[in-house]
Amino acid sequence: MSAVTNPEKPLTAEARRKLIAERTKRSVFWKTVHILGSLKLALLLLATIGIACAVATFYESSFNTKIARAYIYKAPWFLVWLGVLCVNLIAVTITRWPWQKKHTGFIVTHYGIVILLIGAVIGSQFGFEGNVTVHKDGAPVNRITTSRSVVQFDDPLGEAAVLLPFDAELALPSEARPKVFSPPGFHVQIVVDDHSDRLVQEEKLINSPEGGPGVMMDFSTAMMGQNVEMPFVLRADGGMERDFFGLARIAYLPKLPDRTPKTVAETRMVFAKFAPVGQSESERAGLDVHLSADGSTITAGTPGQEPQTWKRDHVIGRTVQAGDTSLEVLSYWPDFKLENGQPVSVSDEPNNPALLVRITGPAAVAGADARPLLEMAPDSEGVAYQLSRAGQVVGSGRVKVGESFALGWADWTATVKELLPHAAITTEFVPGPEGTEGIPGFRARLRDANGVEGPAKWVASGAFTTLLHPKSPLRVIYGLESKQVPFSIRLVDFEVPRLEGTETPSNFIATVEFRDSKTGETRIGTAKMNHPASWPGGPLALITGWNYKFSQAQWNPQDLGETTLQVLYDPGWLLKWFGSLLICAGIFIMFYIRPKKS
Amino acid sequence: MRLLLLLPLLLCATVARALDTTVLESLPVQEGGRKKPYLVFAQESLLSISGRKSVEIDGRKRGAMEVVTDIWMQPEGWDDRPLIRIDHLTLKEAAGLDKERKLFSHAELAGNPAFVALLRKAQAAKGAAKDGRLAGIDKQVEEVGLRLADFEQLRNGELFRVVANPESPNAPWFTLRPDDPTFAAAREAWISGNETAWKDASSALVAALATQAPEHQPPAWKLDLERIYQKSHPFAWAWKLYLAAGIVLAVTSLRGRERGYVVGWILAGAGFALQVFGFVCRIVIAGRPPVSNMYESVIWVAFGAVAFALVFEAIYRGRLFLVAATWVAVVPLMLADFQPLALDQSIQPLVPVLQSNFWLATHVLIITLGYAAFLLALAVAHIALGKVILGGKPSAAIYNYIYRALQIGVLLLAVGTILGAVWANYSWGRFWDWDPKETWALIALLAYLFLLHGRIAGLWGGFGLAVGSVLGFLTVVMAWYGVNFVLGVGLHSYGFGAGGFEYALGYIAIELVFTAIAVVRYRAQKASSKVVPARERQAAG
Repeated sequence: MSAVTNPEKPLTAEARRKLIAERTKRSVFWKTVHILGSLKLALLLLATIGIACAVATFYESSFNTKIARAYIYKAPWFLVWLGVLCVNLIAVTITRWPWQKKHTGFIVTHYGIVILLIGAVIGSQFGFEGNVTVHKDGAPVNRITTSRSVVQFDDPLGEAAVLLPFDAELALPSEARPKVFSPPGFHVQIVVDDHSDRLVQEEKLINSPEGGPGVMMDFSTAMMGQNVEMPFVLRADGGMERDFFGLARIAYLPKLPDRTPKTVAETRMVFAKFAPVGQSESERAGLDVHLSADGSTITAGTPGQEPQTWKRDHVIGRTVQAGDTSLEVLSYWPDFKLENGQPVSVSDEPNNPALLVRITGPAAVAGADARPLLEMAPDSEGVAYQLSRAGQVVGSGRVKVGESFALGWADWTATVKELLPHAAITTEFVPGPEGTEGIPGFRARLRDANGVEGPAKWVASGAFTTLLHPKSPLRVIYGLESKQVPFSIRLVDFEVPRLEGTETPSNFIATVEFRDSKTGETRIGTAKMNHPASWPGGPLALITGWNYKFSQAQWNPQDLGETTLQVLYDPGWLLKWFGSLLICAGIFIMFYIRPKKS
Repeated sequence: MRLLLLLPLLLCATVARALDTTVLESLPVQEGGRKKPYLVFAQESLLSISGRKSVEIDGRKRGAMEVVTDIWMQPEGWDDRPLIRIDHLTLKEAAGLDKERKLFSHAELAGNPAFVALLRKAQAAKGAAKDGRLAGIDKQVEEVGLRLADFEQLRNGELFRVVANPESPNAPWFTLRPDDPTFAAAREAWISGNETAWKDASSALVAALATQAPEHQPPAWKLDLERIYQKSHPFAWAWKLYLAAGIVLAVTSLRGRERGYVVGWILAGAGFALQVFGFVCRIVIAGRPPVSNMYESVIWVAFGAVAFALVFEAIYRGRLFLVAATWVAVVPLMLADFQPLALDQSIQPLVPVLQSNFWLATHVLIITLGYAAFLLALAVAHIALGKVILGGKPSAAIYNYIYRALQIGVLLLAVGTILGAVWANYSWGRFWDWDPKETWALIALLAYLFLLHGRIAGLWGGFGLAVGSVLGFLTVVMAWYGVNFVLGVGLHSYGFGAGGFEYALGYIAIELVFTAIAVVRYRAQKASSKVVPARERQAAG
């Protein structure tokens, strides 16, 4: 385009400046545009956005990502500010009207930023982020857990239900600043006045007219500084047995079982190099006897009891006592052999030492659990207990309320806290002590129009909680919103290749099968580190971004059949990319491509 | 006669001299997720345990090859030799160790009940900490505990994985069995101290190992290349050459300018060529771009600053770029050379999140090149502000140079940040997520945009640009160093480290004072001069 052939001569710089100055003076519209597009406003925006972001990163470092997001990045004022930035960017390009060739870079860059921001708004308004955990042996999944925290109230009578976005960790409700929900169609308000991110389940023993006798036990160890409360209740159909950290078992029974084993007498042949030969299983004594490889010593003991050792020379022909069991050492062969059905020793060398013993004592308990067992039963003023290991009683006694006894498991002791003739066990969430790992939740109570309040209760995320009120109860569900998607996803395979010669993962490869819920059409996708799988996979979906992208988010080192994928649906994708491209190109043009001066 | 007198001395020296370990240098060892030459393995091992390239033992300085080979061949006695580094005074005090010493023996530490108790406490704290990060003395103890563990693994021989595994290319390699005849012979020869016996035995060992699963042995040229890289220290030589160039240029700025300029070009060019060589080596050895840790990023920024300066110098021939770049490149390169514990020089495989991605390499390299351009602008700005402080008046050319460097920086930082977003969109499924690293890159970009727009608005001119280049670089320091070392949160955690916080604060303080003095001087000059400098108004087009 040359100045000569163009009928409309391009304005000289001088004339253009004049034109712009005049229209700004004359028209209110142009005045406004020039104010909105002013450099001073641009500088203010750049400075405030920069400072806000800087503050947010320090916020994030000292609090958490959620708070930084809620108070700055995703806060209304910040979004309004970005809107003002858009207005400023557009207005400044208008102030340069009529545009000339030298403005190309400037205009491309500024509109690039506007398009990028519009893409971001579309993405955050109409798209969503979430995650889905899939297992190789699991069923196909068609629900995705979004990152949005919600609370749902169900009125069990009126069948009214309402879902509201609410995040206790962000709202930070307190007694001084409670959060009050007044959902339409409900007769009561919900008052939330505290929150915690470490709710733990606590069991309580309560009076219940229909329940059997109950006891609250307290187990503590000074060595490890731990303290555990455990309630037990007898049901009509019998007792109750609980596991104690996998270390032991604890049972509460109507009556202590008789564990006194019957006494048996058994003759046994013990070999240093082979298994012993003795009576049948049912009449075996509980004592294990071992002979050393050179036949010089004998060791005997019952399970759960310190074994004893004797020199064979000292005890041969004699009877010794091992706990409740007596052991008679009858004879010894250094090099045992059966000749014509008679035991003989073929030499004096201990080539095959063998020992004949007679054991009189408690019988062995068949199939006994190796873990120690505490059994308790209601007693006149407290509980009667007996402690046993491998079916053999090692201790017993009676305790009243408030009394303690040692369990013999490290330094654990048990205390009877409370006895109730008719009891039931309830579980309730309460905030755990500082440092415990728990789940997030909030404390809520119901309040009606007259100010009558129900009891306060902790609502933990992921579980139904019923709040009580004289008028009507109400059911609350709190947690991350789950969203149904129009397809299902199934994990076909999950691989974790490692760096050579180490256990360090070098990649995570999930092969998934997508199935359209309507058409039943299926497709296999692979989500690798840095390579997401997507559905639907067509080229149009890929270009426009109107698809669901699945990228690797978490894995479970204990279960390699399971993986968690992050799911993203972002309809603003294309605008973001296009805007990005314009910004990069625009800056380059602005700095390095100068129109030739005519 | 004199020679005769010297003879016994020479003999003594031979006795105390170590056996020749050259033959082992290229022996492949599998460690840290890759196969490396024994030389590299030995030097990295000694460095990680003692923080030194050589240690003095029994009154003689010993290199990594000698120390590590001796631990391999005869581990007995090494428990009692001081090899494990402890820097922290508080820790030494708490464990009742000699505060004057830096190196301690394994026996001293393992037999020190106070230290063992501290180690237990740190382990318990590590288990209890939610994110597994420790602070204060626990962190120091953990650091020493890791060195202790490294030493134990070395002394037990389990790190010497030199026997190739025929099973698969990624399978773990084996250590030599103690009863392996070639190994036994090598040990015997080493212990005997007989030069020829050792030479024969070690050559036989290397030859025997090479026949193990030959299909999984790394190519010899690659091992040799890494050995050459390890021995030639290209980045250490680069800073020396840059320093020489900087000195020559500074000294000849008054007399002999022409000749000095040529010599400066040659020295800077040689340094630059060495850096190129170093990067090529690292890329070939690791099979990936140099983007994995702070060390690589630091030497890359120095490289970028010199590269831009050479280009600008070729265009403007203004001398100033070369002076600024050589001086400013020396600092990061020296830091990288002298702080091997803070800036890990070893070549390591990438973590999964960074693997096999073109975008990663581009976005990281481009952003750091942007930092390099800002570093160059900072260096030129220092010269301009220095002139002001000394009572001079910087020429318009200097201010133009600053502007040119800033342009490059803004372009690269914008492109790099956006590429980072594109990469994040591709790999993590989201475009922008306010991750601290990306947020700080944006803040740095906004700061420099503020600087450029303010100049367009006529709020400041060339001098303001110089002041802004110095202050703006503080945001770069935050984005580059602060996010990883101060904030310590976010997705870019693969580059996290600790330490140097006091130095960073000191740097910021010095820059602020320097700028403040320059501003005061500039104001005074402006007030005294009658001519009011015309504002350099430049419209956006």
